[in-house]
Amino acid sequence: MKIPGRKYLLLNILVIFSLFLIGGCKPEHRFVKKTAFKDTNKIVIEFAGPVDEAWAKNRSSYTACEKPDPDIRLKIIDVSLSADKKKATLVFADDLNKNQPHVVTATQISSEGKSLGTAILNVKKFYLGYLFSILIGAMIINNFVFTKYLGLCVFFGVSQKKSTAVGMGITFTLVIVVSAMMSWFIYQFVLQPYRLDFLQIVVFIGLVSLSVQAVDTVLRKVNPLLFKAFGVYLVLVIANCIIIAVPLILADNAYNAWESLMLSLGAGLGFLIALFLMSSVRERLELANVPPTYRGLPIAFVLAGLFALSFLGFSGMSIF
Amino acid sequence: MALIGLAVLGCIGLFFGIGLALAAHKFAVEANPKVEEVLEVLAGAQ
Repeated sequence: MKIPGRKYLLLNILVIFSLFLIGGCKPEHRFVKKTAFKDTNKIVIEFAGPVDEAWAKNRSSYTACEKPDPDIRLKIIDVSLSADKKKATLVFADDLNKNQPHVVTATQISSEGKSLGTAILNVKKFYLGYLFSILIGAMIINNFVFTKYLGLCVFFGVSQKKSTAVGMGITFTLVIVVSAMMSWFIYQFVLQPYRLDFLQIVVFIGLVSLSVQAVDTVLRKVNPLLFKAFGVYLVLVIANCIIIAVPLILADNAYNAWESLMLSLGAGLGFLIALFLMSSVRERLELANVPPTYRGLPIAFVLAGLFALSFLGFSGMSIF
Repeated sequence: MALIGLAVLGCIGLFFGIGLALAAHKFAVEANPKVEEVLEVLAGAQ
């Protein structure tokens, strides 16, 4: 009887998730159906009905800017209208930075002689793609260990054996997701409304140790085998700097729940990848003839440097 | 202002403290008391 219940729960979560994602792409004006980026320097606005050509083709009907910089107007060089007069394409003088949401204002939309008011439209990349790019960004492109040099003490401590490295990585991912979501919630709904932002570090550290303690308590009872396998690493998670860096980044960037989830998941998986790569090489290194002065930690640092150098190859990449 | 901050943080702390205590109570694992006693008697240098 328990299993179908769980299935429905999963289904419900999926439905809510997809509803949210669809809701996330909705433009804000009733006469505008869709807005999207096109090519490198175009924005397409799709209207619900035909608009007047004289209005639509007039460049001064629109203003556009990046959301964080409302003072810097982007220069529109041309507007074209599709044959059914429902689709206007704005052409910009320069390439657009698609990583930033853009705000397009269409003043006094006129359709069949009637004015339909001014629309302020948010143009964003496909939301799922944006979430995915946060995940991959935190996991590989801006890997916390190899590009930000965070969490190094735990990284060098547990990367000697592959099995412990993977165990630590999985535990860490679990704890970072739980604690980052909790920190996000407390920051958004308690600290910010009461203007206690300056206490964020204290609160986040408390939440991290809380989630570690909670996972420890629950796991001890629910899955003793897994608990034994994690052993001392569960407590070691607290000593990792990534776990405190992620909530601070979330608070700085004002991410929403899904973006926070993706960033924390990416940070956790990125740490897992880093640990796995490092432990594989260090296991192999046991057989190598390393000069005595370099044996142990020094060669591990050299290795980490080489890894960081190769991860530099991912820098500046963007997906979607 | 400062008092509100104190009250809010105190509430958060109390809330999560009670939560953890309840969780610890619910997920309590009966440990063998003899293990502790034996450890007590041993030298414990390592």
